[in-house]
Amino acid sequence: MRNKIISWSILAVIAMSVVPLFVSDTFVLRILTEAIMWIGLAIAFDVLAGYTGYLNFGHGAFFGIGAYSTAILMVQANWPFVMALFAGAVITALCALAAGFPTLRLRGAYFAIATWALSLAIQQLALILTITGGPDGMRLPALLNPLYFFYFMLGAVTTTFFLFWFLLEHAPFGLKLKAIREDELGAQSLGLNPTRLKIQAFVLSAVPTGILGGIYAYWITFIDPASTLSDLVSDQALVMVVFGGMGTLIGPVIGAVLIFAFKTVFWAYLSDFQLLYLIILGAVIALCVVFLPNGLWGTIITRNGGNGGMKKSRMIGPKRNQKNADKTQKLAGALKDCVQKEGGE
Amino acid sequence: MATPLLELKSVTKTFGGLTANNQISFKVQTGEIVGLIGPNGAGKTTLFNVISGYYAPSYGQILLNGKDISSKPPYELAGLGIGRTFQVVKPFPGLSVLENVLIASFLRYPKRSHAEKHAWDILELTGLADRAKVSAAGLTLAGRKRLEIGKALALEPTFLLLDEVVAGLNPTEVDLTIELILKLRDQGVTILIVEHIMRVIMRICDRLVVLNFGEKIAEGTPEEISNNPSVIEAYLGDSAA
Repeated sequence: MRNKIISWSILAVIAMSVVPLFVSDTFVLRILTEAIMWIGLAIAFDVLAGYTGYLNFGHGAFFGIGAYSTAILMVQANWPFVMALFAGAVITALCALAAGFPTLRLRGAYFAIATWALSLAIQQLALILTITGGPDGMRLPALLNPLYFFYFMLGAVTTTFFLFWFLLEHAPFGLKLKAIREDELGAQSLGLNPTRLKIQAFVLSAVPTGILGGIYAYWITFIDPASTLSDLVSDQALVMVVFGGMGTLIGPVIGAVLIFAFKTVFWAYLSDFQLLYLIILGAVIALCVVFLPNGLWGTIITRNGGNGGMKKSRMIGPKRNQKNADKTQKLAGALKDCVQKEGGE
Repeated sequence: MATPLLELKSVTKTFGGLTANNQISFKVQTGEIVGLIGPNGAGKTTLFNVISGYYAPSYGQILLNGKDISSKPPYELAGLGIGRTFQVVKPFPGLSVLENVLIASFLRYPKRSHAEKHAWDILELTGLADRAKVSAAGLTLAGRKRLEIGKALALEPTFLLLDEVVAGLNPTEVDLTIELILKLRDQGVTILIVEHIMRVIMRICDRLVVLNFGEKIAEGTPEEISNNPSVIEAYLGDSAA
């Protein structure tokens, strides 16, 4: 299963990287670039939400921090893009460390509220500072080369995906995070330091998000607090992850592709019905939570598991019960005999 | 006498005005099975939580091999060789039985392949191998209690704290668990066990420590304890003593 996922992922990446050879339409390229970006944002969100069990509504803030750091360094300090992007990643990591220590002590809704408040604070900060351009936002030097950004985005997300695959699905780290998600107290007695693991997960989730923010800023050439620092990024990532399947790597990818495709269709072809988009999306999510709590991919792997490991266990289960039932019946029979005998005597 | 594996020196734990453990001192020698008994609310589980690092003692010291381990967090104590089970079992329900044990195995075997081999050995030992791929939530109570022991064992502890691992099991399962505990003792694991079922306690323990209302009221061999008037009083009321 694991190797299959890796081979399919490599195939998908190769397929994506040859797409520009056949498609030269900038509109399509732009849509694809953004879809890839959302895949990256969704899998990064899932590190914390799905694997560790912490819903981070400040996810969008890291996207904005990455975008603004890159933009400020490029515009104010005239740094080249790649250097500014790298510095943006470091700044995002430092911010994640600073935000993680106080907020990761909280659980459940409290963590969600705290991170949400923190992201609002950062948005307000960007609105009042002069270095960020306030509500007017910032304009970056334009590089009108859609192919460059397509490949840059693809490279960044592919790297993130395989890094995550290695850390979360292959190395012990992913299982340790899941242990924290399932039972934080119990995990401690097994030698796991929850604070350290959670901080690591927080940084691991924030850094790719910041990098994607930086690429986005240079690609779109204009950022403002409303587009990069609003709740939109967190909310959208959450919807994609829940729809696709939390706590898996493939789930968020599927969720991101489907939700983004749906959104694009509305945005491009049905713009008169924008309102419907949110209504339908809301309904889909509500239905998904009720009927597919494991998301699309989660439901598929549980089904498939049922043909492999799970079915085996089911075979063992009833058989044993059957044995016990036989025993009980025999026992009941014997008892009956005794009672009858005694009654007869 | 050699340094005891575990030594408690006047360990006290208070919650606000409530003293859950008051000035408790005793020693556990290497290779022993020591039973910790007492009526409900005597402070047994609190003492377990203090020893395993979940609560810091309000006063007093806990020594492991002569070294002070009071107030160290549970995950450091796990590294030092203390394994524990929980009275209210704490499986990771969303993960498979194998993954549950695997997580504990990483402590001693950071490489996944080694950890997996070790986890399978533990599953064989605890009789869970045929249910390895089942979700931990799908186990019976007996299975979950075995998993709890298995997870603690995967840490390769030198000192094991067992909190009511037998309660709620049927007689056959009780015998299997007793067998497992004795096997562990023979392998050199020192055990401190909390249990209400006296049949079990009397059969496996070398020594007993009795708590009542947070204080140690007696210590000795099972025979001594079963004839101790203050223990009988604690369990049955003073008219019986």
